[in-house]
Formats: sequence, structure tokens, C-alpha cells
Amino acid sequence: MPDAQDRDDEQLLTALGEAMRARREVPEWFVETGKNAYAWHNIDAELAQLTYDSLGDPLGDSLGYSLGDSLSDRERAAAVRSEAASIRALTFTSAGLSIELEVVLGQIIPPRAGTIEVHTTAGVASSPVDEIGCFAVTPIPASPFRLRCRTEDGADVLTGWITL
Amino acid sequence: MRDDPTVIALVTRAAGSDPTAWDEIVERYAPLVWSICTRFQLSNHDREDVGQNVWLLLVEQLGKLREPAALPGWLATTTHRECLRVVTSARKSERLGTELDDALQFVDNTMIDEEILMAERNAALRAAFAELPPKCQRLLSMLTSDPPSSYAEISATLQIPVGSIGPQRARCLERLRKSSALAGLGETDVDWAEGDTHA
Repeated sequence: MPDAQDRDDEQLLTALGEAMRARREVPEWFVETGKNAYAWHNIDAELAQLTYDSLGDPLGDSLGYSLGDSLSDRERAAAVRSEAASIRALTFTSAGLSIELEVVLGQIIPPRAGTIEVHTTAGVASSPVDEIGCFAVTPIPASPFRLRCRTEDGADVLTGWITL
Repeated sequence: MRDDPTVIALVTRAAGSDPTAWDEIVERYAPLVWSICTRFQLSNHDREDVGQNVWLLLVEQLGKLREPAALPGWLATTTHRECLRVVTSARKSERLGTELDDALQFVDNTMIDEEILMAERNAALRAAFAELPPKCQRLLSMLTSDPPSSYAEISATLQIPVGSIGPQRARCLERLRKSSALAGLGETDVDWAEGDTHA
């Protein structure tokens, strides 16, 4: 006859089976995507904060999540994103330099020459920034991307992740 | 449970420069991120988008987490937000109608808390399993496979008499129960019954 120990064993075995099944369901590519993200750890550039987003909420999209975010934050972010926005404009700001980005064209403020790199998890594409600080991002990445701006006077600034 | 020393140690090591700790965090919690995507009925393409964003955001938060032990909660909240972002942009392009409303109404705190609790329990169980001797791992794997192997199959595969499977099963489960990985759950008498939180 089943006693308390048998019942406990049965429950533990069921729980273990559930834990193993939950892991088996996750495809390897999904796990690899997560592992690859670590390449962005300790990147040696100053992080520019998103200070303006034409979508409405400067902190709701790609930056600024922290522990203890409440449900109301989430609802607020969802509400912001439900607005229609055909052209998106973003401004990233660091101490000495800011990057203004519209869907295709961007500009470094104050204007100066350099290079802009578009980083996706697939790789890096580099293009020049002209002497009035203008640059173009083409084609627009379909996946999340971030910009790294290196100017001729030595600034090295990295934005948070952008999803358009 | 929220003070699991394993999680705190992993976050601390990953915030330094230890890629193996990061890999372990991803292995532990990818099932949590995946299961939330499943609830939102996301396509594989959208899951990749959500997964990528969640882990990239975590990489940037690593050194800033004030409560590393609350990592599963942070992951669940962030994954929900990213799923909402994906379904909201789908709504904009009018690919979805009422289906989306159905998905959105699933979002509530109780469900998120249950997912976090389940993810922590599952992660602890898998870690405890990994600490078992290979013999126990093989036996318990066969007993928990889907569908579970019969005693006759187990006897043939592992070359042990049918009569000793029951006692070995009990011994292996006892080792699992006493494993240090399960100590992180902080309860001496955890009731393993599904969805039940008291003994």
C-alpha cells in the first residue's frame, strides 16, 4: 500500500519530469541567442542614454529597465506603443555628444566627422559621419540594433538597443 | 526562495567577466522566457526577437541589479513587456484582431508570480539532478521520459534486475531531495504537488 514516502516520491518524480520537459521544449537556437548576448558585456564605450523618443516615452522602449518595475510601468509602456507613429525620431545623449536618429538619417550633435557603426547580433556595418555630423543607416535593421559612434576627436559613444 | 545563493553567485560572477556564469544563467532561465512567449502564442521569429532583447537588456543590467536574487522576477517582467511590444506592433499592422485581445487579457500579476515560482523550482530541480551520480541520472531520466519507460525497458537498458528498480528509484530520489541545489528553495518540507505551496 502506498504510504506517505511513496506519495512524496511520486510527487518529486512528477515535478522533476515537469522540470526536464520544460527544458526540452526550448530549442537550442533560442538558448544560443541568449548566450551570444554576453558579447556585449563590458563594451569599452560610454553609454549614451535615450533622452527623446518621438513615440512619446523617453524611457519606455530600449533602455532603463530596472529591478522592481511594476505592472503599471508595463501598462504605460504598452499604451505608449499603441500610438501610431510612421516616422520615429530618437535622441541619445552622453556627456559630450548626442546622437539624433530618424528612421534613415541621423546626426551627431555638436556636428563633427567620424564613423558610425550599426551593431546587430549578426554583425557590424560601418559608415562615415560627414563634417556636419550627418550619417545614414541603410538598410534599416529589421532586428534590434545599436549605434556606436567614434569621432575624429576621440569620442566613443554607444547607444542602447533600438527596435524600430 | 528569493534569496537563492546560487542565483546571487551567478549574477555576481557574470557581472564580473565570467562567460560560464552567463551561460548558466541563460540555461537556467531560457525555459522561463520561452514559456512566456508560448503563452503569448508568438511565432519563432517573434520569439527570437523577444529573447534577444531580454538577454541584451540583462547584459546591460548585470552590474546594476540591486537585488541579484530577484533575477527571475526581473526576467519574467521584462519578457512580458517585450511580448507586449511584439503583439502591439502586430496589432498596428492589423495582422491580429481578437486573438490579440485574448492574449492580452492573460496578463496579470498572479500568473507572472506563478511562472516565476515554477521557473525557480524547475531550475533548482534540474540543478539538483545534475549533481546526481550518472547511474541515478540515467534511471530518473528513463522514469521521467515521455512516455515513461517500463520497468522491463529500464531493466534491459540499464542492466539491473526489475526487482531492484524500486529501491534504487527511492534512493536516487532521496539523494535528489537532499541535494544542496534544492536547499536554495529554503523549505525542508516542500510539497511537490503541482501548483500547491503548502504541505
